[in-house]
Amino acid sequence: MNITGLALLIDAAVVGALLLVFLYANKAVGARSVHEGDGLLPYETGMPPLERAVDSMAVLYYRFAVLFVVFDVDLAFVLPWALNRHVLDLRQAVAMTGFIGLMFLMLAYFWRKGVLECR
Amino acid sequence: MNFGATLAPQLALAAGVVAALLAGLMDRAPRLLLRLLGVAVIVAALVLTALSAPTSGGALVRLDALGLSWQFLFYLGALPFACLVELEDEVPLALMLGCMLGMGLLAAANSFLMLFIGLEFMSIPAYILVSRTGRASQRAREAAVKYFFAGSTAGSLFLFGMALYYADARSLTLAPAAGPLAQAGLALMGAAALFKVGAVPLHFWLPDAYEAAAPELAGFLSTSMKAAAVLMLMRLVALAPASALAHAIPAVAALTMLVGSLLALRQQSLQRLLAYSSVSHVGYLLLGVGAWAASGASAQGAYAVLFYLGAYVFMSNGAFCFLRASGVSTRRELRGYGLREPRLAALFAVLLLSLGGIPPTAGFLAKLLVLWEAVKAGLYWPAAIGGGAALLSLGYYLGLIRDAYFESDEGPASGEVNRAHRPSERLVLLACAVPAALLGLFPWIVGVLSGVLAQ
Repeated sequence: MNITGLALLIDAAVVGALLLVFLYANKAVGARSVHEGDGLLPYETGMPPLERAVDSMAVLYYRFAVLFVVFDVDLAFVLPWALNRHVLDLRQAVAMTGFIGLMFLMLAYFWRKGVLECR
Repeated sequence: MNFGATLAPQLALAAGVVAALLAGLMDRAPRLLLRLLGVAVIVAALVLTALSAPTSGGALVRLDALGLSWQFLFYLGALPFACLVELEDEVPLALMLGCMLGMGLLAAANSFLMLFIGLEFMSIPAYILVSRTGRASQRAREAAVKYFFAGSTAGSLFLFGMALYYADARSLTLAPAAGPLAQAGLALMGAAALFKVGAVPLHFWLPDAYEAAAPELAGFLSTSMKAAAVLMLMRLVALAPASALAHAIPAVAALTMLVGSLLALRQQSLQRLLAYSSVSHVGYLLLGVGAWAASGASAQGAYAVLFYLGAYVFMSNGAFCFLRASGVSTRRELRGYGLREPRLAALFAVLLLSLGGIPPTAGFLAKLLVLWEAVKAGLYWPAAIGGGAALLSLGYYLGLIRDAYFESDEGPASGEVNRAHRPSERLVLLACAVPAALLGLFPWIVGVLSGVLAQ
């Protein structure tokens, strides 16, 4: 087995282990979901499934969607960098670190401003 | 290519955005700190622009004399806004700097992609800034939505045009291409630029947005934002000087000058009046662009447009600043203002004379230069209509002066407007009125500046 295969194997093992941890940790220590009232309604985009078309609607979900897209697109910039890491030198490493640092700053800003709270 | 040298002002603005957000992480960022930060970043961008020298193009960005001069305009036009904007929190500051970052990227674009990114980057913060005016009043939100939809239409036109251009040119670099699809693409992208600049068939969103926005924001939108859209149009026209787009511009210009002036005559709300007057001024700018294109992108043609924009930066920002400082919002409230506040009213009168193009103000020389270039390029009819529209525009500019000085203030609304203006507002008004009056006497200042930038 070559080194890439081994790396992939380790990667798969770590991801699988993390997946199990997340699944069961949530069940063990997370808050119980309430299976009554609205809890059993089909859940789509944070809105009631049936309503009048002309009513105003909550933008809560869209806020998260936009944040997701923003961070997702930012991540798309990291991908080509990661693929070319063999030919990049220290300067590019510093540049990408700065970029990721900026993303952390963004996250901190949203957190501080209460955007991440589901209210 | 060295990005640090090519994009130094843009990097300063980006750093400013980050700094503004960092200040927002504080519990209550002191307003003075935010204000100083905004002004300091803009001054830094101005200095860095003045220190930059044109370089050859890279794949995405380039730095030419035109882009540098225009960057100087953008940042200069934003200074009054930075001095006057209400900084309850850091959000308007970050949005304003982001908006200018988009303009800077647009000015340095060497590819349609970068042009588009710059266009959207400068537009989206502007929608939000309009919507936040006056604690997000109903009217401001409505105007912002109109502005947003007009801007999105422009954005999609641009994207569609970009795709068509690519189909012919097989490259997204700003380089000439001659095929029919490229021509159609250019026309669509040109329509997007005309949308953003507020040329007449596509101007309907503009009065609403400018009326609902805070006066200092309207000043920013009417100067820096318009300068950016004009530059975008010039970049497109430069790709194909003989295209249908270049031929259509003088006609659009004539229509814009005439309709803008006619509609401004009827307005009672001062901010709406100035919005229509800004539509009319766009007509002159477009005439300048048309003459510039018809004369084969001559240096004099570009200088005429640059001078017009430079003068307009002071005239428009100053006029909107007066509305902010005086609190006057309708022509009725303006009655007798010249007797109540003689100093403020005198500055406003100077600005109005300059906007109207009375010699020897900056506005006069700006109109003269543009009309002269148009005549030299053989655009006789649009130039004649421009002259007529200038006369028409005196109807409301001088009308405002008459309201302020020669009408008695016995209207029912008088007395309500008794707002104490702040020193900063007076200072900005003075800093706008003096160049608006004197730039016409010393036109070589703009030439020296653009010469310094071109080195």
